Amino acid sequence: MTTLLETRGLTKNFGGVVALDHLDLSVASNTIVGLIGPNGSGKTTFFNVVTGIYNVDTGVVVFDGTDITRAASPTIHRTGISRTFQRSRLSLPLSIFDNIMIGNHTRLTQGIWFNLMRRRAFMREFEASYLAARRLVEVFEPRLVERMFDPVAGLAMIDRRRIEICRAMINQPKLLLLDEPSAGMTHEETTALMDDILQVRALNQHLTIVIVEHEMSIIERITDHCVVLNFGRKIAEGPYRQVATDAQVQEAYLGVT
Amino acid sequence: MDAGLLAQYVMNGLMLGTMYALVAVGFTLFFGVLDVIKFSHGDVLTVGGFTALATFVGLGALGIKSSPFVLLIMLIVAIVVTAALGMLIARYLVLPLRTAPPLNTLLATLMLGTVLREAVRLFYPQGANPKSFPALLPTDALTLGQFNLRLDNVLMLAAGAGVIVGLQLILNRTKLGLAIRAVAQDEETARSMGINYTAIVLVTFALGSALAAFAGIMNGLYYNEINFGTGLLLGVIGFAAAIVGGLGSIYGAILGGFLFAALQIIGAVMLPFASAYKDVFAFAVVIALMAWRPTGLIREKISERV
Amino acid sequence: MRDTAHGPLAPLLPGAAALAIATVYLIALLAVETQSLIIGLLMLAIVTVLGVSRTGLWASVSRSFSEREDALGLLSIVAAFAVVAFFHDHHFVLLLVVTILLYTIAALGLTIQFGYAGVMNFAGASFFGIGAYTAAVLNTQTAVPHLLVLPIGGLVAALIGSLLLLPVLRTRGHYAAVVTIAFALLFKTFLEVNDGLGGPQGLQVPGMNILGWSLNDNMTFGGFELSFYANYFAVSMVMSIGTFVLLRRLDRSWIGLNFDALRLDETAAGCFGIDIARWKIIAFTFGNFLIGAAGALFGMVGGFVAPNNYTFADSLILVSILLLGGIGNAWGVAVATIIVVVVPEKLQTIQEYRFLLYASLVIIVLLFRPEGLLPRPVRRYFAGWRP
Repeated sequence: MTTLLETRGLTKNFGGVVALDHLDLSVASNTIVGLIGPNGSGKTTFFNVVTGIYNVDTGVVVFDGTDITRAASPTIHRTGISRTFQRSRLSLPLSIFDNIMIGNHTRLTQGIWFNLMRRRAFMREFEASYLAARRLVEVFEPRLVERMFDPVAGLAMIDRRRIEICRAMINQPKLLLLDEPSAGMTHEETTALMDDILQVRALNQHLTIVIVEHEMSIIERITDHCVVLNFGRKIAEGPYRQVATDAQVQEAYLGVT
Repeated sequence: MDAGLLAQYVMNGLMLGTMYALVAVGFTLFFGVLDVIKFSHGDVLTVGGFTALATFVGLGALGIKSSPFVLLIMLIVAIVVTAALGMLIARYLVLPLRTAPPLNTLLATLMLGTVLREAVRLFYPQGANPKSFPALLPTDALTLGQFNLRLDNVLMLAAGAGVIVGLQLILNRTKLGLAIRAVAQDEETARSMGINYTAIVLVTFALGSALAAFAGIMNGLYYNEINFGTGLLLGVIGFAAAIVGGLGSIYGAILGGFLFAALQIIGAVMLPFASAYKDVFAFAVVIALMAWRPTGLIREKISERV
Repeated sequence: MRDTAHGPLAPLLPGAAALAIATVYLIALLAVETQSLIIGLLMLAIVTVLGVSRTGLWASVSRSFSEREDALGLLSIVAAFAVVAFFHDHHFVLLLVVTILLYTIAALGLTIQFGYAGVMNFAGASFFGIGAYTAAVLNTQTAVPHLLVLPIGGLVAALIGSLLLLPVLRTRGHYAAVVTIAFALLFKTFLEVNDGLGGPQGLQVPGMNILGWSLNDNMTFGGFELSFYANYFAVSMVMSIGTFVLLRRLDRSWIGLNFDALRLDETAAGCFGIDIARWKIIAFTFGNFLIGAAGALFGMVGGFVAPNNYTFADSLILVSILLLGGIGNAWGVAVATIIVVVVPEKLQTIQEYRFLLYASLVIIVLLFRPEGLLPRPVRRYFAGWRP
């Protein structure tokens, strides 16, 4: 079992608030890891630090053998990490296709001459990209295919979340960070979403996923391993069944001993 | 350098710094409370100055000329008019654009500034030309070597400092100030605590605009002149000062204001051949500072939720 | 999955009809001299536009433009030539047409910066002026071929612009606003105190001369008089067409997408590998290049440059053009430029009030129709493409 992502002593302060407190965490390749904990325990901060949105105060983040602690977001993405956001961050005026293509940035030819002058070659790349995006969208919601060039603003929340996941998956990352993907969805929609994620993972054998969730049924169902955070510290880890019955975890969530 | 000359420069810097600080504080108040850049602020200052001038002319026509009395009336009228203007701007332009991207508010207020500026230029009698502003403070001076310590400057400095201190007191010692700070901190929480959000926003805008009126009159008294473009540059300087100090922080705005004034003086001393370059120098340094410390010398209170 | 640009004529009709009507209207507006008739024509236009927007006609016209953009582009060029042919010996009108073309190029440069990449530039007129002053200096002091002066003017503007932008790239929107406003204000003062650049009087600019052909000469073909401004029209036309085509391709490419991504959500864009600084620099620099090049030609057309033509207020006019026409929509920009340039020239009474007028209009637009006259449509990479 190789370690894909590892943090050592990760600390992040905001003014007086300690969001991450000497966090040691490791994620094994090809697993699905659940990251849980009460509100404010540092889960999203963890994602933000790993993806370079926040700087760390102290500690180290190593991904696939490379130290990415001080790297900028674009560099980190190129090492193979993609993510979704807790508060859906799609570009609303842009089409489904455009939004997904933003996720595909590193695979598209960005040269100015190519884009402006070599229109025939561009057309070929465009059509290939369209097919790739379409294949992905079909897994999650086939009815969205005919709306590929409609603005995302007109979509329902659950469809927007699906597109956001497509955006994160289009360039076949090694590590996918999902931040509360089921927020705002019904139970059936959540189950469907999880099925879709598992299906894509089946197509892409080398995908590792870390998922932040409050819906425990999801965590129980799809994760191989769980990490529980509280006040920026890891308080338990192991398979879901095990951490669910851990006394410290229960106290963190419910406040009972 | 001669001590008297140095003292002159210092005095100059203090005067300019106070004016810039007054404008910068306005920007920071607006940003703190609504997260908006109200670009028309400088031109509101111009309106304040011209209102004061118009009051002076009007009082003169009525035969009222007694100095401190006239100045007081001018001050009151200008403050009332600009406060009202500030509230109107907040109510009919800024608040309705809250849901739009912040860029739209910036653009709208920028355009509004143009409207105010052009209105003064076109509709005030001879508005396109610089107008002389009356000298209404006692001009007795104390001469210490090369340094001419003028009483009117001292009075203005004291008044300006008083206004800033007064603002600090309002913000930190009164219930109104507490409400303003609460709204600046977190709108949701402030509302749920029973604070009338809209009223506080309007009051804040009135307050900031009144400061601008004061700065406008001070500017007029200091230079004995006022013209329709006065506020524009003052506004940009005030805005830059507020940013470099740290948007959202009153102390930052004051610091930024005095910093800019100091830079202008230093620039004027270093480049005596063309005083226009002092502004270039000051802005260049300020821009470099912004590049070095983007969130301001005193931390800007932005918290982007990711 | 082939490009169906050669389909049936139907989608072309609404757009072509709108274009024809607009061209006839413009000719009429430019030809009429009496103020009351002009006001009447303007009222007619406003009423018609408001009326049409209530029907479905507007939508079919915009669909027409999005499906058959290339064909309609060609027709627009024909329309421009038609206007010039009609006013072939009319100096004033042809100068107006050239001004429209050059301002459009500047506004399109601003569109790349502001409309596409979201980088604020409130010193557009200053960069225009930099181009014009470059032409003045190069044409009088050097023997640089005049055609070459145009891109050089662009390069100088781009260079100075990059000096401005580098410090504030990492920071938020309003920083770029402050920097460019300060530059706009100080640029004019800088020109005024610099006697080497003519001071407040400005400088003369020798007319354009391409390989011996002096553009400042009128031409006569038999009995047909052609104002010398028609020569400049030809050059401006080539520049505008080139700019327009380049801009449309830019927008309908991965680069256009990068700009949108970084304008709409910088943080998320960074998380997907987009180098924010790089693309902002590219947008800002390229935009200034276009603005500067257009300014260089403008200097040669007008024959002189002075600080008073390149003020902060003029920069705001450029911004107004974008906001009125529809930010990010090249066609909207062209239409808005025509309106902004022609109306104050024909309606002499409002010349003095034009800054006030446009600023007020923009405020109204921002409050009630922020997308502008022609909202920017969703990106279609190839006109008429179907999956």
